[in-house]
Amino acid sequence: MGFLSIREVSLAIQGHMILDHVSFDVNQGEVVGLIGPNGSGKTTLFNLLSGFLAPTGGSIHFRGSDITNCSPSVRAQKGIGRVFQNFGIFRDMTLEENILVALEALPHEQKKLLGDMKFLVHRTLAMVGLEKSAKKKAGALSGGQMRLLEIARTLKCGKDLFLLDEPTAGVSPKMTGQVSGLIAELKREGKTVLIIEHDLPFIGRICDRVIVLDVGKVVLEGTPDEVKQSKELQEIYFGADPTT
Amino acid sequence: MSFLLHLITVTCILLPTIVGYNLVFGKGKIFHFGQIGLQILAAYPLWISIVLFDQYPIMGLLLGLISAFVAAWLLAWLSFRLDPDGLGVMSIAVHLSALNVVLNWQSVTRGALGVPGIPRWSFLADNVSFAIFVIVAVSVWCVFVWLLDRSAFGRKLQALSEHDWYAEALGISRKNVHIVAFLVAAGGALLTGVLLPQYLYLLSPTDFAFPAMIFVVMCVVAGKPGSMGGAILATALLMMLKEGLRLLPLSPGVVGPVRLLLFGLILLGAVWYRRDALFPPQREI
Ligand SMILES: Nc1ncnc2c1ncn2[C@@H]1O[C@H](COP(=O)(O)OP(=O)(O)OP(=O)(O)O)[C@@H](O)[C@H]1O
Ligand SMILES: [Mg+2]
Repeated sequence: MGFLSIREVSLAIQGHMILDHVSFDVNQGEVVGLIGPNGSGKTTLFNLLSGFLAPTGGSIHFRGSDITNCSPSVRAQKGIGRVFQNFGIFRDMTLEENILVALEALPHEQKKLLGDMKFLVHRTLAMVGLEKSAKKKAGALSGGQMRLLEIARTLKCGKDLFLLDEPTAGVSPKMTGQVSGLIAELKREGKTVLIIEHDLPFIGRICDRVIVLDVGKVVLEGTPDEVKQSKELQEIYFGADPTT
Repeated sequence: MSFLLHLITVTCILLPTIVGYNLVFGKGKIFHFGQIGLQILAAYPLWISIVLFDQYPIMGLLLGLISAFVAAWLLAWLSFRLDPDGLGVMSIAVHLSALNVVLNWQSVTRGALGVPGIPRWSFLADNVSFAIFVIVAVSVWCVFVWLLDRSAFGRKLQALSEHDWYAEALGISRKNVHIVAFLVAAGGALLTGVLLPQYLYLLSPTDFAFPAMIFVVMCVVAGKPGSMGGAILATALLMMLKEGLRLLPLSPGVVGPVRLLLFGLILLGAVWYRRDALFPPQREI
């Protein structure tokens, strides 16, 4: 069984199959890309993994234990970190508070190992070059800065599995490089990452493996090169090729 | 002078319940209107057991505390199961049911007449010492809530109110945090429920009727939801207005409707002015 193991997970809302018997494993330290057209169920799968939705069938195991029925906060405490499509930052709180509240939410044993929280907050902000804005409201940040802050926060909170939902969406091209640098950092630190992305070259650069979702089903799985060359992907994204 | 003393005393007496409600409704954005219901369920068991059933004060206090905490837990439980609109309506129902029990279970509560002869400790018999006692007790309570508000708990509550999914994805348990918030509000309701009947020497159901809830909401909304200093300031000003109306040369038949009209307008204005701070933003993920 993998580090994260998804078995026959389905979700039906009002008789509509949004996810249909999805199964795959993610190994520890692996960076896996999850791609697919709009509305194929990628974000919904993340919501099932982080516990905001309950599957109508199937099971989810994380580090060998069944988490299918755990609440979102319990899953987070077990080490699952989520980066949201629309920036999971509290805009009415200061940058400092945004990090502090995440550190304070850790389980007691983990909190004891952190040492000085103020110092850690400062280090996290410094990591993404925002230490000068510590006392500013997070709502004033640009999309790119919010994304960097969110990823750095998740990293410093000692999460082991990262669910990144379109980390480059809403980020200026100039900062995309910085975001992918931070994701590379995750990889270097041996973190396990599951990443939703529409930018295929980006996926190709950082992922060890790619899973393609279409209308709620896993239709393809392989290395980035294998997936890129496959005909199915062309069909899913651009329709059938008229020249063949 | 005696009017000023009265004004200070009644304002301070209301602060614990208002500050507690501000934590849940203002800061936590938990859309409920059950604070005065909590106060009924704190004050009635407390005073009835002491005055009508001759229990020791400590027993009455314990009973009031247990009853208030159970009621707070019930409201918290409802808040986890209902959407905001449903909770709003349900919490009003809880309040009105408690009020109805009090009004109709006459053999125990003496119904609309209320319970007269609420005792004060002998050293609090004159109004000046009572006022000093109230100021000290309420200050201690407010400092406690203020510290709580600035602690990790306050940050978690704010994070949950801004976006519960984002907060939960960090490992913040909505249940734990919200239950604590409701328990603090119940503590405030109990303190107000201990002090108000002592001040009036009377436990009267009219002090727990729906207009009392509207007043509490108004203090929190006008003071900027979530801001403790704002709630305290708004309570002081609105209380001054409410009690000051009595000094105007109006016949008693006119004062009532004028006060209702005035406070209705203030509430309307406050809700309109604070509409952005009052309701949580639309959730996107
Ligand atoms: N709560 C819900 N109720 C009904 N339908 C839903 C719900 N949540 C998601 N859906 C539907 O499920 C499908 C998958 O949505 P999802 O957001 O997971 O897609 P996605 O792959 O993340 O797309 P995008 O690339 O646009 O982010 C969509 O058709 C959406 O309308
Ligand atoms: Mg999506």
